Amino acid sequence: MSEINKNNSSPENVEYVGRYEKRPDNPAASSGNPRPLKPLKPLKKAGTTSSASQTEKPRVRKPAENAQGPKPARPAGQTVRRTDAPVGKKKKKSAAEKEAARQRAIKRKQEKRERRHNKITRGIAWVNVAAVGGLLAFGSVYMLFFKHETISQDENRYLAKFPEFTAESYFKGEYTEGIADYYDDTVPNRDTFKKIITNYITPLKGRKFGDDEVELHGIAFEKKDTQTTTAAVTTTSGTGTAVETTAAETTTTLPSAVDPAVDGEMANNILIANNRGIMIYGGAWGNEKEYAEYVNEYKEALPKVNVYSLVAPTACSFYTPENYKDLFESEKKDLDSIKRSLKNVTAVDAYTPLLAHKNEDIYSRTDHHWQPLGAYYAAEAFAEAAGVDFDPIDKYQKVTLYGFVGTLYGYTQSAALLNNPEKFIYYKPKNTLKVTQYDSYFQNPTEVELFLKPTTLDTSSYYMVFGSDERIAHVNNPSCKNGRNLVIFKDSYGNALLPVLANSFENIYMCDIRYFNINPVDFAKEVKCTDMLFAMCTYSAVGPNRDYIYNNLHN
Amino acid sequence: MVFSRLFFIYIFLPICLLFYALARNVKQKNWVLIIFSLLFYAWGEPVYVFLMMITALINYGAGRMIGRYQGKAGDTIATYFAVIYDFLMLGIFKYSGFIVENINALLSSDIPVPDIKLPIGISFYTFQTVSYIIDRHWEDVKPQKSFKNFLLYLTLFPQLVAGPIVRYSTIEKEIEDRKTSITDISYGLNRVALGLSKKVLIANQLSIIADNFLGNIESTTVFGAWFGAIAYAMQIYFDFSGYSDIAIGLGRVFGFHFDENFNHPFICKDITEFWQRWHISLSTFFRDYLLYVPIFGKRRKYGGLFLVWLCTGIWHGASWNFILWGVYYGIFVFLEMKIGKKNMKKIPIIIRQIYNKIVIIVGFAIFYFEDLGKLGSFFRTAFGFSGNGLIGIQDKISFMNNIYLVILAVVCCFPLIEWVKKLTDKTFFTKSVASLVTTVCSAALLLLTSVMLVDATTNPFLYFRF
Repeated sequence: MSEINKNNSSPENVEYVGRYEKRPDNPAASSGNPRPLKPLKPLKKAGTTSSASQTEKPRVRKPAENAQGPKPARPAGQTVRRTDAPVGKKKKKSAAEKEAARQRAIKRKQEKRERRHNKITRGIAWVNVAAVGGLLAFGSVYMLFFKHETISQDENRYLAKFPEFTAESYFKGEYTEGIADYYDDTVPNRDTFKKIITNYITPLKGRKFGDDEVELHGIAFEKKDTQTTTAAVTTTSGTGTAVETTAAETTTTLPSAVDPAVDGEMANNILIANNRGIMIYGGAWGNEKEYAEYVNEYKEALPKVNVYSLVAPTACSFYTPENYKDLFESEKKDLDSIKRSLKNVTAVDAYTPLLAHKNEDIYSRTDHHWQPLGAYYAAEAFAEAAGVDFDPIDKYQKVTLYGFVGTLYGYTQSAALLNNPEKFIYYKPKNTLKVTQYDSYFQNPTEVELFLKPTTLDTSSYYMVFGSDERIAHVNNPSCKNGRNLVIFKDSYGNALLPVLANSFENIYMCDIRYFNINPVDFAKEVKCTDMLFAMCTYSAVGPNRDYIYNNLHN
Repeated sequence: MVFSRLFFIYIFLPICLLFYALARNVKQKNWVLIIFSLLFYAWGEPVYVFLMMITALINYGAGRMIGRYQGKAGDTIATYFAVIYDFLMLGIFKYSGFIVENINALLSSDIPVPDIKLPIGISFYTFQTVSYIIDRHWEDVKPQKSFKNFLLYLTLFPQLVAGPIVRYSTIEKEIEDRKTSITDISYGLNRVALGLSKKVLIANQLSIIADNFLGNIESTTVFGAWFGAIAYAMQIYFDFSGYSDIAIGLGRVFGFHFDENFNHPFICKDITEFWQRWHISLSTFFRDYLLYVPIFGKRRKYGGLFLVWLCTGIWHGASWNFILWGVYYGIFVFLEMKIGKKNMKKIPIIIRQIYNKIVIIVGFAIFYFEDLGKLGSFFRTAFGFSGNGLIGIQDKISFMNNIYLVILAVVCCFPLIEWVKKLTDKTFFTKSVASLVTTVCSAALLLLTSVMLVDATTNPFLYFRF
C-alpha cells in the first residue's frame, strides 16, 4: 500500500509545481520556457501506475479544474502587450494544455474503468469462492449429517465402523485413521455413486477392444485392498464366495481374514469379452503335481476308501474368444498332468462333459463360479466314475432367479457386466432330505434346509443359495440304501455338487478344505466313509489353497 | 492424513477454514493454523508429532543463538549443532535400516536391522529447518523470536508432509503479517481443485496401467515395458505436482505465497532443463546449500555436481535404485555440461527431444524398481532381450481400454492453462469470461474428483514416505 502512495504522490507534486509555474500572472511561466509541458510525463506515468484507490479521486480532479481555470485568464493577461512570438507560443501552450486536459480525462476514464474492472474481478472471485466453497460446505454437511451406509452389497462386505477409542489404538494412529476410514468408506448413497462411476466415468478412459468388446481388468494390480479394514460379509453370515474373491475385498491389515489364495501364483486378471467376465488362468507350473501328491496321501492313509479327484475347469476353458487364447494358460494341460500324477485315486474328468455342453449356460457370465447346471454335468461324470445312480435333471424342481450380477462385477466395476445381468438357475431335489450342519470341528449340529432362502440373498450373491463354506454339512438320504457314504473336500465350486449328488449316496459329508479343524482320516473313519471326493476348481487345486489339503492331514 | 481423501476435503478442511475465517486477527489465525497443522500431522503420526516439535524447538533455539552470537564461535556451534541434529534425525529415522542392511551384506555381519517406521514428511521438514539455520547463519533471514511463529512455519499443514520445501525466507514476512483478498482465496480454491483432479482423475488411473505392466515385468513385452514406464512417469508427475498444487492453493487461501514447485517438466529440451522444471524446491535447495560446499577443493564444480545428484537420489528413498537414479541424472547433466549450452543448441530439436524423453522415461523406470533384479528385467525387456516379443494382445487391449486417459494425460503435460491465459488476458472481457469458465471447471472437477473418491479407497501420495 505504501508503495502505491509513493507513486501517486510524486506525480501530484510535479503537477502542482507545473500549475504554479503556468499561472498567467507569473511571467516566468510564459517566458517561452518549455517547462509547462513537463507535467504531461508524470501524468502518463500516473495513469499507468494508478491502482484506482478511492482517495485518489478528488486529488486528481483538482489539478484538472485548475488546468481549465487559467484558460480564460490568459488572453486578459500580459500576452496582449507582448509581441507576435509569444502569441504563437500562447497558442502552442494552449494546445499543450488541451493535450494535458485530454490526458487527464483519459486517465480519469481509465481509472474509472479500472475501478469497474476491479469490481467485476472481485465479483467473479466471490462467485468462484461461493461455488467451490459452497461445494465444500455442502459436501461437509452431507458427509457429517446424512445417514451413513453400513454394508456394501456388491463388494460383499461390511463397511468400516466408527472406531472405539483406546490409548493403544490412538498411539498407533489406528484410532484417528479409523475415523477417517469410517467417513471415506461409508459415504451416504455409496452404491449410487459407484454406479455413476461405473456407468459414466470409467468408460471415458478408453474404448473396448475389437469385435468382442474386450476389456482387461487387473485386480491384482489395482491394490484396492489397502483401505477396507472390515471383514467380508461372507465370513460371518457364512455365504460361500470362493477363496479367490473374498480375500481381495477384505483387508491386508486383518491377516486372519485373508485367504491365502489372493496372492497366488496366478494373476487374478479378468478379461471381459462379449459381456462375459473370464478370469485369466495363469497356469500351475508344477503346483498341479503337488496337489496330486497331497490327494495321494489321503488315499495312502485310507486304503479302503475310494478316493476321487474332480478338478473343475473355469469359464476360460470354454468361453475365451479365439484371438485372446494367448493370454491364458491351458487348464486342460494341467488337468491332464494331475491325472497322470494321481496314484490309486480316480481322476474324474469334468472337462469333457462341460465342453460338450458349452452352448448351455454352464458358467456364469458375471460370477467366477459355474452355474448349477455346470455342476450337474460334473456331478454326473463323478457318479459314473463312482458307479452310483444319478437322477436325470427333469427329476429336479428348476428354480430361476433373475437379475444376477455376480462377483466379477464387484471386481471389475465394469458397466458391461452391471448392465447385463443374467439368470441364476438351480435344481432342487423333490424328495425330503435330512440336512444337519456342524461347525468346522464337527460339533454343534443344527438342522437346516438344503438351500438358503433366495429371498434373503442379494442379487450379487445368488451362488450363496448353496449355503456357507464355514461348516460341515451332512445330508442324510433315507430313501437311498446303497451303503455308500461320501465325504467331499471342496472349495466353493463343490457347494453346487451337493444337491445333485444327494440322491446317489446314503450320507454325504461336505467339508471345506479351508475351514476344517479336525483330522480328516479320523473324521472319515468316524463317519464310515466309503468314498472321498476332492472337488474344487483349478484355482484352488493348483493355487495356494492346495496347502490346506496338506495341512489338514498333517495337523 | 493425505489430501486426496474425502475426510480431508469435506471434514478436516471445511472445519479448519471455518475457524480460520472466524479468527479476528493474524495472531488468532496463526493459532488456528498451528492447532490444525498439529492435528493434521498427529492424525497419522500421534507419536512422531512430538519428534517434530522437538526438532522445531531445537532449531528455533539454534536460530536465536545464532542471532545472539552473530559472527562469533557461538554462531558456528549453534549452526553445526542444529544441522547435525537435523541430519542425524533424518539418518536415524530414514536410513538406519538401509545402512545396517548394507553393512551386514558387506561385512557379512549380523547386526540386527532396526525396524523404524519413517515419520511422515521428515525429509521435507528437515530440509526446511536446515534452510532456516543456514540462512540464519548467512544472515539472510532475521531470527524468529517467537517459537509459536517458528512452529507455524515448520508445521504449516499444506506443505508439511510432501512439500514443496518452503524456505523460511519465502514466508518470513507473511507469518507475521498477511492479507488475504477474495481473489487470493478464489485462486487458492481453484488450485486445490486442480491439484486434486490431477491426483485422482489422472495419477491414480495411470497407476493401474503402470503397475499392470511394470509389476509383471518378467512377462511384459517391449511395448508393455515402455507403455508402463511412460504411464509411471506421468503418474509421478501428476501425483506430485498435484500435491504441490494443493499445497500452493491451500497456502494461498491462508494468505501465503509459496514458490512454484513444477513448471511443466516434460516440455523440457534437455535434462538440465528438466531439473529446472521438476521439483524445483528440492533442486534449488541442493543448488543453494550443497553445490558450493568447499569439500572438493578445486574440483568443486564437478565434485559438487556429483554430491548434489548423489544426495538427490538418496533423499528420495533408502534404497539403491534411488541412489542409482540420482547418479544416472548426474551423468546426463554432466555430459550436457561438457557438451556446452551452445553445442547443445546446435543439435536438431527432434533428436534432443527423443534423447531427453528416453532418458526421463528410463529414469522413472529406475525409480520404480526398488528390486534391482527386476530393474535388470526391465532393461532386458525394454531393449528387446527378454524374448517376450514386441507387442502382445494384452498390450493392445490395455492400450485401447485406456486410450483417452493416456491422451488426456499427455495433453495435460503441456502448459495448457498458461496458453489459454495468454490468449484470454488480452482484453478484460475475455479475461472475465475465462474466470467464469474457470469457476465452472473448478466446481466440476471437484465434484468429479469427489465422486471418484467414493470408490477409490485411500491411495496415498507416492511422495508421502520419501
